[in-house]
Amino acid sequence: MPFMQNLSNAVVLAGTYILMAAGLTMVYGVLKVLHIAHAAVYTIGAFIGLLVFTWAGNFWLALAVAMLVSGIVGVLIYRCTYHYMLDAPRTVPLIASIGLFVMLTDLLQKGFLMGPYQKALPAGGAGLPRIQTSWFSLTPKQVLILVVTVALLAVVYLILTRTRIGLGWQAAAMDRDMAAAVGVNLNRVIAFNFFLGSALAGAAGVLVGVYNNSVFATMGDLPSYKAFIIIVLGGMGSLPGTIIASLLLALVENFLVASVGYVLPRDAIAFLVLILMLMFRPHGLLGQE
Amino acid sequence: MRKSLFHPLAVITIVLLGLVPLAGCGPTPTAAPIPTEAPAPTSPPTEAAPAVEEPIKIGFFSPTTGFAAADGTSALNAAQLAVKFINDAGGVNGQPLELVYYDDAAKPDQAASIARKLIEQDQVVAGISGSYSGATRAAAPVFQEAGIPMISAYAIHPEITATGDKIFRVGTLAAVQGRVGGELVGVVLGAKKVAILTIDNDFGVSLTEGFKSRAGELGVEIVMEEKYPLGETEFRPIIGKIKEVAPDVVYATAYYNEAANLVSQAKDEGLDVQIVGQEGYDSPKFIELAGEASEGVVITTDLNRDSERPMTKLFLEQYKAEYGEDADMVGASAFDAVQVLAYALKTAGSTDPGAITTAISGLEDFEDCASGPFWYYTEEREVVRPVSSQIVRDGAFHLYHEFTDEELVTAK
Repeated sequence: MPFMQNLSNAVVLAGTYILMAAGLTMVYGVLKVLHIAHAAVYTIGAFIGLLVFTWAGNFWLALAVAMLVSGIVGVLIYRCTYHYMLDAPRTVPLIASIGLFVMLTDLLQKGFLMGPYQKALPAGGAGLPRIQTSWFSLTPKQVLILVVTVALLAVVYLILTRTRIGLGWQAAAMDRDMAAAVGVNLNRVIAFNFFLGSALAGAAGVLVGVYNNSVFATMGDLPSYKAFIIIVLGGMGSLPGTIIASLLLALVENFLVASVGYVLPRDAIAFLVLILMLMFRPHGLLGQE
Repeated sequence: MRKSLFHPLAVITIVLLGLVPLAGCGPTPTAAPIPTEAPAPTSPPTEAAPAVEEPIKIGFFSPTTGFAAADGTSALNAAQLAVKFINDAGGVNGQPLELVYYDDAAKPDQAASIARKLIEQDQVVAGISGSYSGATRAAAPVFQEAGIPMISAYAIHPEITATGDKIFRVGTLAAVQGRVGGELVGVVLGAKKVAILTIDNDFGVSLTEGFKSRAGELGVEIVMEEKYPLGETEFRPIIGKIKEVAPDVVYATAYYNEAANLVSQAKDEGLDVQIVGQEGYDSPKFIELAGEASEGVVITTDLNRDSERPMTKLFLEQYKAEYGEDADMVGASAFDAVQVLAYALKTAGSTDPGAITTAISGLEDFEDCASGPFWYYTEEREVVRPVSSQIVRDGAFHLYHEFTDEELVTAK
């Protein structure tokens, strides 16, 4: 029983990692920009989710509005910063991105926005049932995370494989200049890419806020680097790689703590996995050499 | 597509982005310093008008940005509330108090330079740390060398007061609180087997050492001991391990955010064991974040919310009225640090550093504090006071037990 319970807990944790890292992977895939400020979008998503939930008391509405606002914020970030740096050396957008993350976090911490205190987001499991089997149990919150993660991934898969703009994204991810040359509207594709990726980060923010019943201005600090570990592990720009890497990381973290305890903080474990990966397979699990 | 690095917007953005974090790093004064030389009055004050006295400056630092912003803001709010109380009642020796405060972001290097600034530039008569142990340890030697007294509000590392004869504390030393925790678990709760979860920093490790020393004397068996990192949110795997060893009690050192996740997940995973915490849990935020899972959790702390003492009631009411949030233990400690300092200034009748330290050392049965009473200060400049144990019932902390055994609550 402990094995299955740890496994199900790890899968739920992986769900939150996937949503956060998927947007980063998508941005990297097309722009080759390390978008640190993505973690601020995650916090903004959680904040909007908290506001809407407090006001309306409905989790699904809160999730929808948070995703919409996060998506718009993502597009604005692109239009106001990276858009002007596409041909600059890669360190330029990276530095801008770090600055933007620090600025947005400090801004969110101001009293008129989120303030310094953690706030509860008591959405529970949004009415979903508890799943109890003889091997493992999932709380309503955990069921909620799994349901939302799987549903959003399915939508992203359909968009990227069945729509014109999704195919444009795939083309741009392979070769931006060539895609532009054959008539892909790069501006639209990139803006859409930011919208979708940021909306996923917003959803991750709301879900983590509900899972830990806590929303605060510096909640993006940890995901800001953990999501990077995941996209490097998965192979930069590969969505399936991101999913596998998220699962792998969550499993390693959970089972190591459950079997031998906190020999290392969970985040240090993540970095250790990253270093091993860089030593033996620098292009990541599913990345191209 | 026209793409140039030198697009004006891009340049402006980069410059702005570069500046913002830099600006955030320096100690930013949040109070306009009063000019040291007041303009000479143009006409002598009439006898009826109250004399405008030069304020007595008290230095204060706490983290109001960064990861520790919640505690730093509570501490600053409460310190300002105390100054307001004192000034509304006529100040100290006819002079109003003025709090000169800076944000140290809980960083030792910033705290040390703030301490220098408070002493040299602002010329404060004494300092109060509303910050964490690391930052407080860095500031203490600066105050000690300058011969200016400093009080640590809630930073509990033993080294802070060991810095020298000018450095005092109002919070209970972690080792003492840990021993009281051992007494609570072994005697009051009568547990035989205990599992220990320690937050891996000065705070957690010192508490656990104190706990184990008392638990050992009482013959309580420690069936499991684990350390976890600051900021951990996922306790489910460790809860699974605790279930296997089936203790009577889990003694878990944590701050309120880790504590809220711990008790919520313990409930989710069906761990039906009494959880015992300490002052890190002592924030209304713990109950807000953990919800029903916080019911029945017992902690040791300095603040007794059910106390009938007038200053405790006044503090809890006024804090809520002023800031719209319920007060926490950190706030109570910062409030008390200002009260102790005001008492010392009154008793000394001057702002002479030596007279202030003598007055604090001589403090006896001090009642003008939110978390007291303070019985007296030891020679190691640690306060001796009863330690309270609180239980969460119906969504609020209530008195569970009071430890008044002087031997138990005195630092060794």
